[in-house]
Amino acid sequence: MTPLRFEALYEREWQELEELLDVVLKRTPAKEAKQPPRGERIAALYRRACEHLALARARSYPAYLQDRLDRLTADAHQVIYQQRELGAAALWRVVSRDFPRAVRADAAYVFLAAALLAVPAFVLGILVHYEPGLILSVVDARTAAQFEQMYSMSAESIGRTREAGTDWTMFGIYISNNIGIAFQCFASGIAAGLGSIFFLVYNGALFGAIAGYLTERGLGPTFYSFVATHGAFELTAIALSGAAGLKLGASLLAPGRRTRRQSLVHAARESVVIVYGVTAMLVVAAAVEAFWSSAAWVPSSVKYGVAAVCWIVVLAYLAFQGRHAA
Amino acid sequence: MARHVLDTAVAAETPEGILLELRPAGLAARFYAFLLDWLIRLVIAYAAGLASLFMGGFGAAFWLVFYFLLEWFYPVVFELGRSGATPGKSIVGIKVVMDNGLPVTPAASFTRNLLRVADFLPFMFGAAVVSMLLRRDSKRLGDLAAATIVVHQPQRPPKLKLDGVAPVTPAVPLRPSDQAAIVALAARAPTLTAERLDELAALASAVSGDAGRAGPNVTRRVLGVAQWAMGKRA
Repeated sequence: MTPLRFEALYEREWQELEELLDVVLKRTPAKEAKQPPRGERIAALYRRACEHLALARARSYPAYLQDRLDRLTADAHQVIYQQRELGAAALWRVVSRDFPRAVRADAAYVFLAAALLAVPAFVLGILVHYEPGLILSVVDARTAAQFEQMYSMSAESIGRTREAGTDWTMFGIYISNNIGIAFQCFASGIAAGLGSIFFLVYNGALFGAIAGYLTERGLGPTFYSFVATHGAFELTAIALSGAAGLKLGASLLAPGRRTRRQSLVHAARESVVIVYGVTAMLVVAAAVEAFWSSAAWVPSSVKYGVAAVCWIVVLAYLAFQGRHAA
Repeated sequence: MARHVLDTAVAAETPEGILLELRPAGLAARFYAFLLDWLIRLVIAYAAGLASLFMGGFGAAFWLVFYFLLEWFYPVVFELGRSGATPGKSIVGIKVVMDNGLPVTPAASFTRNLLRVADFLPFMFGAAVVSMLLRRDSKRLGDLAAATIVVHQPQRPPKLKLDGVAPVTPAVPLRPSDQAAIVALAARAPTLTAERLDELAALASAVSGDAGRAGPNVTRRVLGVAQWAMGKRA
């Protein structure tokens, strides 16, 4: 069969498929469509077009004909096999099941990341507490003074920098800074996990140094009552994002029976679920930190009570949520 | 086949056993797209900054959150749209798809854009540039982890125009791949200058029995062979 005859024979089917796809892909407005597109018709025409493409290739038909069938089958393939899950149901499944399960599945990385965050924090905290001058090896003098002012007893709103006008501004700062740090902590894990380790240790050390310094200055009560509540969300989230990053790095270092590339794709698919959860936790953390932790009028005892509840809820959520869900 | 040596095209197999051809977008195309997106983001950020000035105490928070979302989720939102491409990519004519040629999934788009941070290292997207230059499919780290690929959007090929050309019976037996090459030349003819077309046709002049000669007449006869291969007979 010559290419021209082949084309003449099947032209009508291809045109029909093209028109249907134009409607489905919204290239032409639905009103102008001759008929509403039916799925089974598109599928049938798609399979026919696949046959024609295979024939056209086997017979080395002209390039323009193969290109047209290529494009036609590619478009139809996208329409038929696309899987896009967005919306409330997918979101709820992540919250109610996938996120805590992903965390438990990677418990080893989570504990490792938590240790990488906590150990430097304790070490520097104790060191700075006994030798306050050491704070200057972590931050400069201006920053140290600023922290002192932020958590002073007389501060009208705890944890607010002098430049920031309102609690809302602090909310914006917490959102962009903290979630940005979490994303970096995750993504830089692809460098054999080194990036995640750096961010975990650095942030742990910074937190520990500031805590030790403020405790030594006698500002412990304001600082700890400030940190306790949102820390349940924020510290856990940073540790989890680090764990997701460590998983990425480990997938390259020890791919097991997969190729390194397959291993990376696999690890990324699983760990990105953790990043979803981390993002949500940090939004909660930012709101709590900006509007609750900072409230100077709330007595410390109330704050510690709420904090205890938050820690229990967060840890129980990660440990138990979605265990028995199908 | 020679074209596979020259082409960077990669194949994705469908369940129907058809190989879909994906044409990976190279560093240059993606750099231009990035530049355009960067400019667009700059304009949006500037507009948001102006708007935030009129929001009083709420303005700074609005700007911070808006800028954060713009920085991290601008590509995600557009890649999940119908075109699968950010405005910059659309203008350049490239888009993001999964390795198997399907539209990019939300998880994959999120992953590849989170990993822009890693691609940025050590500075100015060094890792991304090295990865894209080393790989045939021009993937950056984010594409590798998310199993996505940035491809040129397929264009509608022009229909073969050989109306005034009389069919010429080949002087030598032609294999199917030879016929395909001649017809492909004819398909490209409208995009070439007359001189270049003559040059290329001269390479194939043996098929019309004009070996060693060149010129518009030889070109016409070679195109005539293409007409013959298409099924037209005198």
